Amino acid sequence: MNFTGKILITDDEAHIRMFLGLVVRRLGQPTVIEATNGQEAVTVYERHRPDLVLLDVNMPVMDGVQALEKIRQADPDAFVVMLTSLTNRQTVEDCARLGAVSYLRKDLPRDELIAQLSQIIAENFQPDDPAPLPPCSAT
Amino acid sequence: MNSPAESSKPDLRGRRVLVVDDDRLNVRILAGILEPEGYTVAQANSGEAALARYEENPPDLVLLDVVMPGINGFETCRELKSRHGGELAPVIFITAKTDSEDVVEGLAAGGVDYLPKPFRAREALARIRVHLQNRLLIEQQRKLVDQLSNANAAKNKLLGMVAHDLRNPLASMRGLAEFLRDDARTGKLTTDQADIVESIHGTTQSMLQMVNELLDAAVIESGEIRINPLPASLSELLATSVTLNNINAAKKGSRIVLKSADLPGPVTMDGPKIRQVVDNLLSNAIKFSPPSSVVTIETAAQAANCTVAVLDQGPGIPAGEEHKLFKDFSRLSVKPTAGEKSTGLGLAICRRIIEAHGGSISAANRRDGGCTFMFSLPMAS
Repeated sequence: MNFTGKILITDDEAHIRMFLGLVVRRLGQPTVIEATNGQEAVTVYERHRPDLVLLDVNMPVMDGVQALEKIRQADPDAFVVMLTSLTNRQTVEDCARLGAVSYLRKDLPRDELIAQLSQIIAENFQPDDPAPLPPCSAT
Repeated sequence: MNSPAESSKPDLRGRRVLVVDDDRLNVRILAGILEPEGYTVAQANSGEAALARYEENPPDLVLLDVVMPGINGFETCRELKSRHGGELAPVIFITAKTDSEDVVEGLAAGGVDYLPKPFRAREALARIRVHLQNRLLIEQQRKLVDQLSNANAAKNKLLGMVAHDLRNPLASMRGLAEFLRDDARTGKLTTDQADIVESIHGTTQSMLQMVNELLDAAVIESGEIRINPLPASLSELLATSVTLNNINAAKKGSRIVLKSADLPGPVTMDGPKIRQVVDNLLSNAIKFSPPSSVVTIETAAQAANCTVAVLDQGPGIPAGEEHKLFKDFSRLSVKPTAGEKSTGLGLAICRRIIEAHGGSISAANRRDGGCTFMFSLPMAS
């Protein structure tokens, strides 16, 4: 995989952003930008229009679910993958309903994270085009 | 003056005794015995009045005459019992008859004792005191049980919070160490640095596993274990687990061999949870077997069940420690053979997962040495 798009990593914990930053760099040569809470993510999204957003659920100021809703309002094609530590079924269902493409458990071993993220990108992006496909809600 | 023994008895003054008798003389006699001892006496002259009195202000003990016009004492007692169940104050029957048939009927109706007429003050007081004390003890015990179960719930909650908060930083540490390991492999680190990274990685990995087990235990113990059963291939699950666990086994020069994994059809199960059980049994088998061992995993299908057995080459379960095996935080006297860590929770979690599936899990030593861990699951729900 050679992903060259722009990725926004949103998590309130610096070590997670650092770790995920290294993970996404294994997918190609992405441009990585960061946000530390949901509010920041919404602002950064509107300014930079990243191709992919990794969005933590539990964050101060504004949580990931609210941020997801606002980002999708601003851009109905926004490509958002939620980050969770424990899989809370209700949260996952809420996020899917609000248009999140998928979710990733950030406590997975690195190689599993890389594999899952590659798969999510492969399933949703054109091979040579970093722009996301329209959301596949019809399928 | 109270003797030291007496002063250690609980103070029963002010306790309410409901005396039920249609004969006013009897009521007066009993009040005369009870009131000087500090008891508060309430009166009723029929079964119906007793029921009403009990509702108005529940007493701590009831003295109940058997033969009365209207509903008799036994019927009154049965009615009280059906209304109040285990909360009912002790009921002592007042009876002229000490015929054993009557005594049996009274006890069957929910009474705890009987007082023969004519009353002997010392005997009456002694019996009343015993039953009031018992009730006091039961109340105290109930309070204690409530407090303990609250404390236990708080402990589980704390355990869950701690484990949850430790998990993300540990996962990042492990992940970051994995990136450094890549650098070590490509020669970007000195040998010492590579060793340090390896140690950080190994330690965070085993801490993460312990934290995950604590979290599982906290979640499971708080009654929140949820099984999401779907038909799935157990054979495939076992094959995946064996492949991954063989990576760790190889570090000890051991290997895991999967035998006869042909099951007739899908099994209705929560795949990730059963996978957790299989992983746990396999990693235990490797942990407790000496280096260069062969661990075997085999399956069998019966009419309604399928069984998975893991055969290790470890020292077996020490005699007298079988009961500890599937309990929380219990570690046996046998130790992992290469200094591996354990929380003592793994098998307790396995048991709960298997039981939540309606299956069973057990372990037994084999005559040829080693131990066999076995679980069975119903084929279809």
